[in-house]
Amino acid sequence: MTSEHSPNDAASRWPILMLLLAGSVWLVVSGVLGIIASVQVHTPVFLSGCPLLTHGRVSALAETSFVYGWLANAGLGLALWVLGRLAGEPLRAQNWALIGTAFWNIGVAVALAGVATGDATGFALLGLPRYVQLEMIFSYAAVALPGILAWSGRLRRVSFASHWYAAAALFLFPWLLSVAHVVLFALPPRGVVQAIAAGWYAQGAWTLWLAPLFLSVAYYVVAKTTGRALPSYEFAALGFWCLVFVGGLTGGRHLVGGPVPAWISAVAVVSSALLSFHVIVVVLNLRGAATAPGVSAKFVAFGIAAYALGAGADAATSFLGVAVKTEFTYFDEALRQLALYGAATAVFLGGIYFAVPRITGKAWLSGRLVRAHLLLTFAGVVLLVGSLVVASLVQIPDLLDAKVPFAQITRETRPWLLGVTGALGILLAGNIALLVNFYATACEILNLSKPAAFEAPAAAETHAS
Amino acid sequence: MSGEPLRDPGVDQAAISDEGLLDAHERALGRQHHEDGARYRLLPIGILFVLSGLVLFAGTYLNRYTGHYSALVFNENAKPSMNMAPKVDPLAVGRAQFKAVCITCHQESGLGLPGIYPPLAGSEWANGPADRVVRIVLYGLKGPVHVAGKEFSATAMPVFGQVPGSAYNWSDEKIAAVLTFVRQEWGNKAPAITADEVSAIRKAVGARKEMTEAELLEVK
Ligand code: HEC
Repeated sequence: MTSEHSPNDAASRWPILMLLLAGSVWLVVSGVLGIIASVQVHTPVFLSGCPLLTHGRVSALAETSFVYGWLANAGLGLALWVLGRLAGEPLRAQNWALIGTAFWNIGVAVALAGVATGDATGFALLGLPRYVQLEMIFSYAAVALPGILAWSGRLRRVSFASHWYAAAALFLFPWLLSVAHVVLFALPPRGVVQAIAAGWYAQGAWTLWLAPLFLSVAYYVVAKTTGRALPSYEFAALGFWCLVFVGGLTGGRHLVGGPVPAWISAVAVVSSALLSFHVIVVVLNLRGAATAPGVSAKFVAFGIAAYALGAGADAATSFLGVAVKTEFTYFDEALRQLALYGAATAVFLGGIYFAVPRITGKAWLSGRLVRAHLLLTFAGVVLLVGSLVVASLVQIPDLLDAKVPFAQITRETRPWLLGVTGALGILLAGNIALLVNFYATACEILNLSKPAAFEAPAAAETHAS
Repeated sequence: MSGEPLRDPGVDQAAISDEGLLDAHERALGRQHHEDGARYRLLPIGILFVLSGLVLFAGTYLNRYTGHYSALVFNENAKPSMNMAPKVDPLAVGRAQFKAVCITCHQESGLGLPGIYPPLAGSEWANGPADRVVRIVLYGLKGPVHVAGKEFSATAMPVFGQVPGSAYNWSDEKIAAVLTFVRQEWGNKAPAITADEVSAIRKAVGARKEMTEAELLEVK
């Protein structure tokens, strides 16, 4: 049981590898689409002759492939892996996960084709056209099944923070998407109710689905690499419940100042503030990541820092006085990228770099590419978010001043938008490095002669320092 | 393999086994307030302090900015006054009331259903003297009635007021609001009705059964 490379990893290898490999393909695809969309912002003629690739469609394509292609696949794969490891036995019902993965990814492909031909929904974070939604809910449930079984059938009664977050994400996504499906598509309400429901989904997809997924990975990687009980761990459960209860109420966050009853946005403002308690607990628990050895811990530390920064900025800008200025500007986009890229993606990458050698039994084929990816990700996210923030600072005073013509705003923000394109290019380069390295390493499974070198870890908490 | 696995970025080493991880955290939850000394005990107090601060803020903010959770207050900064219900637009309340109830019979268009439910749009009753239309909604209406030249007698109009035998027990304010709405929608152009007018009629008439057309015509 104490051996770090357990036979369970090999036994539950295929569904997890499939999810992670599919995820990294979508990551590169969405990177290319994202670059096209960002070029179109500062150079509108780019590819605008092609109806499949007009700006509105390309940005919806980039977002959908990023969220449902990359984040969902990677998050599910890692959640299954973590749950399986903590259960101490091979995953059960693996065929369900394999079939579910296939159908989930077919769903993503169909959704992208639909968006490209004009079936985009126009809702943030919910680019999936109506007709794939049910299929996606069922595929998700199929993929989640082994995870749920590993959680409910774990050999030991104790549970760890990763259990709670992973199980929550596995259960809550089908709920979120099916409610959104009924409310927004099956019985579409009119006007404001629609905006409220769409806002609820977009915020819920983050606080109740993607955030729990990456937090379950982060708790596991940090605990494994630091090798001791996490500090302030007695608050971890409180932090978890705070996210689950308050997270879903932040939905009115982007309706502040809009045509909705005041209490909806007031509740959202308050929930965003209360959520900072959850974030404080996460940061206290996971602060060891900053000094833990290894590339994975670095990725996770970066992700947690981005999460904390984003949550703080989100709470601060949700207040009415600030929100009316930042809403619909590049600032909103900066926060979105900080969350989806800075936090979720960085933690998932850390999880992949930690998990793949264990799943495959092989060291990463190129250590240099691993290090390069770390640097490119840090640099890319900082440049991306930084450029967007500066662009919004240039843009906001102008937007509020009716005398400034729109063309002038566009001209003034252009250098920073070029910076955004550059940042996306850097990130794409890093992600291609991952893809190449990952496929090459996965192929090494067939090469039995070079097992990865794992040190035997301590069986129990080390009492040093 | 370089023979130096420690520094190989190709494999991140784990410092603890999965078993050990579960054990360590189970123990961490078991032991909370002893051993590790003062530093360990200060932290929980700090966290609880932060939490109570946030809850205090939340309560204050909600009290101040929610407009009494009214679906009709859109401005966060509307000051909730201490002893008075927030002022709302009677037309908006009336529309909401109409959509909640009257619409099932008189229809969204206000045209009713031919032969069963009479129209409100252009109706001489709806646009007529307040004393009559208030009685119709307060006490209900039964028996044949003529609206826009057609006779309706298929069913009765329910009792809405706070009077014995009422189906809805609507306050005088609600009745005033819904009638004000009815009298200004679909091209109707009759004056608004106040809650005081409704109260006055209700008190003067007292308890009674549904109105009939003949009785209404006697009200001037
Ligand atoms: C259950 C169905 C029903 C509902 C609900 C209803 N009514 Fe009526 N209403 C009637 C019927 C039936 C008549 C005609 C009664 C008769 O034939 O004596 C009528 C007559 C009237 C009249 C007089 C005739 C006319 O067309 O002007 C008015 C005014 C009126 N209703 C207003 C309202 C208002 C306001 C509401 C909502 C508060 C309402 N009604 C709800 C069925 C309904």
